[in-house]
Formats: sequence, structure tokens, C-alpha cells
Amino acid sequence: MVSATQPEFREQQLTSSMLALGTERLALIGKHSSLLMQAYLQGELAESQLSDRAIRKLVQANLIYQPDESRGFILRPQLADLIASMVTDENRRHINADVADKLETIRLRVKTYRDAQQRGDTTKAQFQLQLLTGLVHDLGGQFGEAIDSLWHRLNSNFGFVASLADKIRENHRAQQQIGRLLDGLNYVDFAELIALGEGDVHLRKLLVSQLQRQLNAHHSSLLEVQRRLVQLMGRYREQQARSVLLTNMASFLREHSNFQVGDYAWRSQVPELINQAQPIVPAAAISLDQHAAVEVATGLMANMPRPALNKESVPSEQAERVATVANQEVEARQQALKADVEALLLHVVDQQGKQQAGVSALQYRREKNLNWDAEVWLLQILGEYQSLPPQQRHLFSLRRDEQRAHPFNDLLLIADLELSFQPASQGQAQSLT
Amino acid sequence: MIEQYGPLVERLLSGAFICPFSDPDNYRRLQNDEVRQALDEYLRPLNRRLAQSQGSGVYFLGYLTFDEQARDVLKSQFSQTLQSLMPLLEWMLMVQEALGRDGALTAGDSIKLQEFVLKTEDNQSLRHRLQLLANDRFFNSQADSVDAQVKQIFKRLREHGYVRQPHAERQYFEVTGKVDYLVDLVRFIRDEENLPVSDEAEQEALL
Repeated sequence: MVSATQPEFREQQLTSSMLALGTERLALIGKHSSLLMQAYLQGELAESQLSDRAIRKLVQANLIYQPDESRGFILRPQLADLIASMVTDENRRHINADVADKLETIRLRVKTYRDAQQRGDTTKAQFQLQLLTGLVHDLGGQFGEAIDSLWHRLNSNFGFVASLADKIRENHRAQQQIGRLLDGLNYVDFAELIALGEGDVHLRKLLVSQLQRQLNAHHSSLLEVQRRLVQLMGRYREQQARSVLLTNMASFLREHSNFQVGDYAWRSQVPELINQAQPIVPAAAISLDQHAAVEVATGLMANMPRPALNKESVPSEQAERVATVANQEVEARQQALKADVEALLLHVVDQQGKQQAGVSALQYRREKNLNWDAEVWLLQILGEYQSLPPQQRHLFSLRRDEQRAHPFNDLLLIADLELSFQPASQGQAQSLT
Repeated sequence: MIEQYGPLVERLLSGAFICPFSDPDNYRRLQNDEVRQALDEYLRPLNRRLAQSQGSGVYFLGYLTFDEQARDVLKSQFSQTLQSLMPLLEWMLMVQEALGRDGALTAGDSIKLQEFVLKTEDNQSLRHRLQLLANDRFFNSQADSVDAQVKQIFKRLREHGYVRQPHAERQYFEVTGKVDYLVDLVRFIRDEENLPVSDEAEQEALL
């Protein structure tokens, strides 16, 4: 390690004093963050809440200033910019499209760097290279920040302004900014950058591979944002046109209350827009003349919820007679009985096609272990059968197994009932009462 | 292939407008050329065909050929639409104004009924306009309260397919493509009748 030369020592001193001062002043921002932020939002610093000494310090740190005697202290533009960028306040975020100045500085630094190298002053060369690196980053960052701001505005649909007219204005402003940024990029002459970096690995890496790659990426980003902004502007204009059209049409109609239009319907060419056919509601009923339809109907009936069936079946007098029992317990039993008969009917529907003969009521009772009295059971089936709506009743055939009460008595006693499901087409119900 | 489009055909036959917001699945199906051809083929005996509004892109059924009966239907239908045009435009402008919207209502916009009621109740001029609008024959409300008037208005709009209510128990509505169709119609009438109705914003020096 070579001992520090005189100028180098000065530079080190300078750096360390800058470090102390910068840290102190940055801390100042943190210390008064709330007041500074209020000043950002309200335009002026609340002086009364600060001591004279504190204000003096803020002024010395170039954070605030007093534009003229009549006004209070306001934030320096650099600080306002910093805040706007930190809180992405698109109303005040500043876009810096100035490239020429930075390019000029880059040229200068490259010269200084090369001079230092030629003199063999590696420390100075190193320092210049560091500054140059910072500069290149700055240039890239400047575009990065601008592009970030543009995307943010685009993606938020210019939500920071309220009216459509303002959005159109903001969009226009953003497009102009892009124009300036693209102009700025055009200043960058890559052939010149290549020439600047020639013969030096560090410079080449910095100016050619890094800067060129970055700027290329920024260039395509900018074109993309531009495309999207133009698209969005089209939508805004369309929205605006629509709104204006409706407003004007409404006021026209208001002024011309007996406004008549042409007879479009009788033109030889009926306009597509008014050709709106009258609604047709396709009505359909289950038809049982096809085997497939019968199956569907069977399925539908089997799946029919019971309450719906109850609602539809208006009880006949007979069924009612059986049902008119005051006692609640009996009524509950009566409901259960009714439900069992309905289950039987559904069973009959399910059995259709599966067995030749009908379903015997008493056999069903045995199979299902129903402990209804045979007479009650049969009577209820008869009652329910009678109370079915005629169309449904005709779908069932009910055969009575009857016996004479006595050889000399013509009274017929019902021994059993046989039910089968028989769609109308397959023959008339056999034994309607 | 047509069988799987039964529900879609039924909706179309019932006079529905199919837009990407009210019926996204069916709208997507209708984007397919083959499906549209199959539907047209199927609808031919009914003297119906699939029609599409050029501006808004909504689908609906139109007549295939224009016999006398069809023309009469179109005539009376169109005159009904015209009668409802003024109240519908007024409704659109009112919603835009009351809710502080950027642009005119368009398909996909959502409207919270309560918000509209509150904004209208707060504003004497809007209340007055609402009263007039609700009393219009198209909406036909006899009610006095803002709340009841607004409910009646949206009920009628839903019946006519201009808005849909995604949840029956929630007072929240979505604008359908039929509103865009209405705007197409306004533009069409304006052009056909050469009405002095401009859609250009007042020129600003900046733009």
C-alpha cells in the first residue's frame, strides 16, 4: 500500500466530513418528517411548531426556503421530488428527460479517467471510474424512475384525478413526457459510446454492455407504455363521446317531445339494429307416445318431491272422510299413512316394465313391514287413488281382488288391490271405479 | 351439436340479449362460427336468425325474412323502444351524475342501489329529476319515497334486461350489454335522421 499523497489525503478528509454532514442532515429530515410531510401536502411549513434554530438548520440543509418575505417556508423542489417519488404521488412526480447534460459529463469524466491512467495515477483513475459508474447508473435510473411513474399512472387508470376530462389531460401530458424521453434517448449515440470505451475493459463494460443494454430495455418499455397510453386515450375519448352523445340526445328529445323517426321496419333493407324478433317461449309437455319419453317421465315422477305431489292432489271427499280425525296423534299417523301410500304409488311407477303383473297392495305392505291394518291400508289406497288429478289417475290401473261376502249376499269385500303404472297410450286403465 | 345449446337457444328465443357480462359462457359460445351457423340453421324454420349489434357486439334474434307480420312487429317494437328512450337516457345520465362516474354507463358497470339512493336524497335537483323519471310511463312508480322509486326503476330495468341482479337478496345491479345496444341505437337514429346531436366534447385548446 502506497502512503497517501497530499491531494489524496485532502480528498479523504473531504469524504469523511461529507459523510458526517450528510448523515446529520438526513437525520434532520427524519427528525422533522411529520412537519415536512405536512408542508409537502399543504404547501407551507408550520413555522410556529419549530424553533428558530430548527428552521435555520433546515434552511442550511437546503431542505426548505422562503421564496419571498410575504410567504412562509416551503420545501425545496429536490425534497418535494424525493417525497413525490417515495409516495408515488403522480400529481407531483417529476420526470427528468434531460440527457444531454449527463452525456456531456460522461464525456468529460472519460477524458479525466484516461488522462489519469496515462499518468499512471491509478487512484485518481479509480475514483473517476467510480464517479462514472455512478453517472451511468443515474442515467439509467432517471429513465427507470420515469418509466415506473408512467406505468403507475397507466395502471391506476389515472386514478389520482377525478374527472374524465382531467384524465384525458393527464394522459396527454404523459404522452408528451414519453416523447421527450424518447428524444432524450435519441441523443445517446452508441457509436460514440463504443468509441469512448475503446481499448479499456472497464469503460467498455460500463458504457457499452451496461448502459447500452439498459437504455435498450428502457426504449422498448417506453414504446410499450406509449402504445398502452394511446390505447387508453382511445377508450377515454370513446367514453367521452358516448357521454356527450347521450347528454345531447337527451336534451334534443326534451326539446322535441313529438320527434318522429322514419319507418325503418318497412324499408326494403331493414336495419340490422332494429331487427329484433318477437320472443317465442317454447312450451312443452311430456308426451308419452315414445318409449324414451315414457322413461323420462317415469324418472321425473320418481324424483318428484313429495310436498309438490301433496299440493297437487286435491283430496277427494272419500280421502277427506278418512282424514277428518281431530286427534293430533291420529292425524300424525294419518300423515304417515298417506306418505306410505304415496311411496307405494311411486314404487308402482318404478316397477313399470320390470314385472308383468301389478303390485299387490297387501304384498307390498308385508314386504315393507308396514303395520297398518289391512282394511285401513286398502281404504287409504282407494282414497288416495281417487284423489289423484284425473290425468294422473289415468296413468295407474287399479284392480280390485273382490269376494262376495256370502254366497247369498251380493256385498263384495275387497281382499286386495293390484296397482300398475300404465301410460295412456298402452291401453285404457282397466278398472276405473 | 345443437342439443347442447338448448338453454342458449331458449334464452335467445325468449328475446334475451347475450353480452359478455350477463352471460359470459354463452357469449363465448356464440363467438364460434360453427355454433352460429348451427344456430342459424336451427332457427331457420322459425324465421329467426342470429343478429349482432355492430357497435356493442351483443347477440339477439332477428327475423330472417320480413313478411308483413314481422314488419308490423318490428314497427311496434321499435316505437316502444323509442318511447322508452327518453326515460332510459335520463336514467343513465342521472346515475352517472349521482355516482360521480367518469363516463356514461356501460356494460359491466355496477350500481349499488343504496349509494344511488343516498346520493339522490342528498341532492334537491336529483330528487326532483328522480320523481319525474319514476312517474314516467316506462317506470310507472306511484311511490313517494326515493327508496321505493329507485327500487321500482331498477325492477323495471331488470325486467327489460338493461341491468341484472346477481344476488336476488342484494340490492346490487350490473349493467348489461343491452345498455350498449341502446347507445348504438341512439347513434343510429342520430345518423339516420341527421339530428344535430354531436358526440364531440367542446374543443379544448390543449387537445
